[in-house]
Amino acid sequence: MELFLQRLFDGLSQGSVYSLIALGLVIIYRGTGHLNFAQGEMALFCTYVVYQCGEWGLPIGISLIIGMGVGFALGAVTEVTLIRPVAKKSQFAVFIVTLGLFQFLNWLDGAIWKDQPLPNSGVGSNQTSFPSLFPNKPTDFVNVFGAAIKLQSIGVFLLVLVLFGLLYLLFNYTKLGLAMNAVASNAESAKLVGIRTNMVLMVSWGLAAAIGALGGVVFAGINSNVNLGLMFTVFIYASAAATLGGFDSPGGAVLGGLIIGVIENMAAGYADEWVGQELKVGVALVVILVVLLVKPSGLFGTAKVERV
Amino acid sequence: MKTAPFTIKSGGGASWAIRLVVAAALAGLALWIPTSASNGLIDSCITALTLMACAMALNLLLGYTGQISIGHSAFFGIGAYTTGVLVAKYGWSPFQTFAVAFVIAFVVGALVSLPALRIKGVYLALVTLALGLVFPQIIKWPKLEWLTGGARGLDKTGFRFTKDNPTYEIFGWNPWGTLRGENVKPFHYWIAMVIVIIVYLACRGVVKSRAGRSLVAIRDNETAAAVMGVNLAGTKALVFGLSAALCSLPGCLSAIRTGNVTPDSTNLTVAGSITFLIVMVVGGAGSLWGPIVGSVLYVFVTEITGDWSNTDSIPGILRPLFGWSNTPPGTGIFAVLLIVLMFVAPFGIVGMYRRLQARVVTVVPKPAGTGTIAAPAAAPVEA
Amino acid sequence: MTLLRTSGLRAGYGPVTVLHDLELEVNEGEIVVILGANGAGKTTTMRAISGTIPRQGTVELKGADITKLSPDNIVRQGVAQVPQGRGTFPELSVEDNLRAGAITRRDGTSKINADMERWYQQFPRLAERRGQRAGSLSGGEQQMLAIARALMSRPSLLLCDEPSLGLAPLITQELFAVIERLNKEEGLSVLLVEQNANLAMHMASRVYLLETGRIVAQGSAAELSADDSIRKAYLGF
Repeated sequence: MELFLQRLFDGLSQGSVYSLIALGLVIIYRGTGHLNFAQGEMALFCTYVVYQCGEWGLPIGISLIIGMGVGFALGAVTEVTLIRPVAKKSQFAVFIVTLGLFQFLNWLDGAIWKDQPLPNSGVGSNQTSFPSLFPNKPTDFVNVFGAAIKLQSIGVFLLVLVLFGLLYLLFNYTKLGLAMNAVASNAESAKLVGIRTNMVLMVSWGLAAAIGALGGVVFAGINSNVNLGLMFTVFIYASAAATLGGFDSPGGAVLGGLIIGVIENMAAGYADEWVGQELKVGVALVVILVVLLVKPSGLFGTAKVERV
Repeated sequence: MKTAPFTIKSGGGASWAIRLVVAAALAGLALWIPTSASNGLIDSCITALTLMACAMALNLLLGYTGQISIGHSAFFGIGAYTTGVLVAKYGWSPFQTFAVAFVIAFVVGALVSLPALRIKGVYLALVTLALGLVFPQIIKWPKLEWLTGGARGLDKTGFRFTKDNPTYEIFGWNPWGTLRGENVKPFHYWIAMVIVIIVYLACRGVVKSRAGRSLVAIRDNETAAAVMGVNLAGTKALVFGLSAALCSLPGCLSAIRTGNVTPDSTNLTVAGSITFLIVMVVGGAGSLWGPIVGSVLYVFVTEITGDWSNTDSIPGILRPLFGWSNTPPGTGIFAVLLIVLMFVAPFGIVGMYRRLQARVVTVVPKPAGTGTIAAPAAAPVEA
Repeated sequence: MTLLRTSGLRAGYGPVTVLHDLELEVNEGEIVVILGANGAGKTTTMRAISGTIPRQGTVELKGADITKLSPDNIVRQGVAQVPQGRGTFPELSVEDNLRAGAITRRDGTSKINADMERWYQQFPRLAERRGQRAGSLSGGEQQMLAIARALMSRPSLLLCDEPSLGLAPLITQELFAVIERLNKEEGLSVLLVEQNANLAMHMASRVYLLETGRIVAQGSAAELSADDSIRKAYLGF
């Protein structure tokens, strides 16, 4: 029982990271119909920025705000300079641009911070491990039915719920949220009611990148370090989460992420012999295939007309 | 509209003359390399040829049917490991393994693509990405270690030559090099060349056939294609399977060439898939020559900039641009190039060349009813 | 008083020019109808006025030049368009559609809510379905919704692009009756483009005939019906 609870909360905690990245994917997809292949790498860049801020002595709270701000700027600038001009040409061109951005950001991270896990005393890092938003010393846990649940796991999970709550308020009770929903639903008509669609698109990308940055920082905290490959597999898990939840449903993204995190952890834990560490990624592939076969629009997505 | 200064009739005398000259030049180059070039150059050429075949296979899928795959590294890996396992563990002769790899990759490709075929392209991209990520992990899976050699990989997956192997001389000219293990590179070069030719002919055959026209129809407008009787799911699965199978062949070659297979080599991971994609897009998607140009350029640039982590080897002018870091800038250069291309030349180098060519030379088409398939459609004007 | 005036209006798509030097006028309190066959340029005219495509020439609203304004600013100046094919936000509820219509207003939630209630009274069927997804409404209901949404921004000029398209004649009659009532009771000015001459002519103050991007005739409905050649060629009776 204790092991189950432990695995459950580890899964929820990991799944929260997937939820955060998936939220970014969904916000962009809803607004523009594009998959942002560079979502993970944008988050990674911001995570490195947060690391650097920590190196310069800033507390994690400030570093996070800076990181998310950088993320917002990065997303907004990308939308205006790279995506908007190319979107007029074709979906494929947009995909290639995000792919190029993926490559470029990862290369840039490697060029600036080198290919090694950071912080690293070997290169003279000031910090001993990547700062976490929540207390994560070995003594920071709570006893639930005999299982030792890390405070960090609980904190991360609550963070996602709070963020989702804020997004819910945004989409349902604010003018900006209404504008975003309108643009996502029918961009032409949105122009006709006086919405500045360009601004909405820019903000959507900025918001998605900022949330992604949060996801990256949270993950690095769990992982204790940031490294070049941090977001590679997270991206596919997040995509699986968005597929499961429905690519145009933020609630689906959150739920999908949590479910996949739990499945992945349970599979790796209980079916250790069969799944283990190596085939964990296989979980993502299987989930995507199953969803596409059974209900392509996901749990909460709106079913658009299927192709012939 | 300004008319171009020169006019050539398609299929006429001048057109054939140009083709012959180009073909002869290429053939000459292809023959000169293994016999007289340095080992390093031959090696680079083999790398280029390998990439060329992969990019051509991907082009068949992406350029012509408009389906996205970021997982072709898995098929490359299927080729590599089929050859690796059969040769290292079961003593097969390497040449026999090509056919087996081809079939396995075809089946896997067709099956994996099925669920995503009826849905939007983004899902196929995700499925293939997941496949590309999963493949190395399957290789490393402890339960399969008896077969695949796990993370360490397998050795002795290439040809074994003994002292008694003959050299095949033609009029005193030896295209094979010495087949005695010291200088086997030309041999590998020729295998690579043959693979490229096979893949090229396969792609060309498909593209210029009736099936090829269905492909372009699918890419340009799926619903219209379906309504006109094109079997969508079937055609797409077949093309995916073929593209996968063709991509496995250079994988077999890589096992033979390096003599071993490991799950972490670049071309077997998603990084490899991305490389194939870059090569294809830079060269020019949807054209038969695109992958050829793209792979040569890619290898060329990577070779030259490979040293640039050491600031002194960077030519003076570029030093401020690249000198501040000691990471090889190759990846960064191509990443930026990819983005810039989508603005400036979405159809790659070949696309740019064609546009320039159109300003210099007008090709008068054959009379109606005698031509082959149409060029890629331009973006539709909104009514 | 002139509400809308276009002068030398040219617009098109890419290399193709659709409208050639269009001159038309809408005065306050008028319902002006533009009749034209398919391909005449009716929707292009609407788009050129509301600013969603690039245009040359001049468009003036209440004497002020709006030619260079972006679409969202033109809405803020008091022009609202009901696009061809309804153009509702299908995933949003009826209520959210109406709210979206009011998104440029700054006069406070209570006034916006009051307006919503008012349109719910004009269109009882919308009131019944206020929480429903707009995409699940019938064609006629969606058209009503599109009109109500446009009216939520309290425009001085309403542009309607083929409101009868795809709707049964009875429903179309109902809709036109609503537009007429709004025009008489509230002084709403309307510029309406239509293929269907019969229904539209009854309420028109003035009619323009559009053919391949040019105005070929104009006048009151009576004048145009009286002219035999025009009647036979364009009005079909």
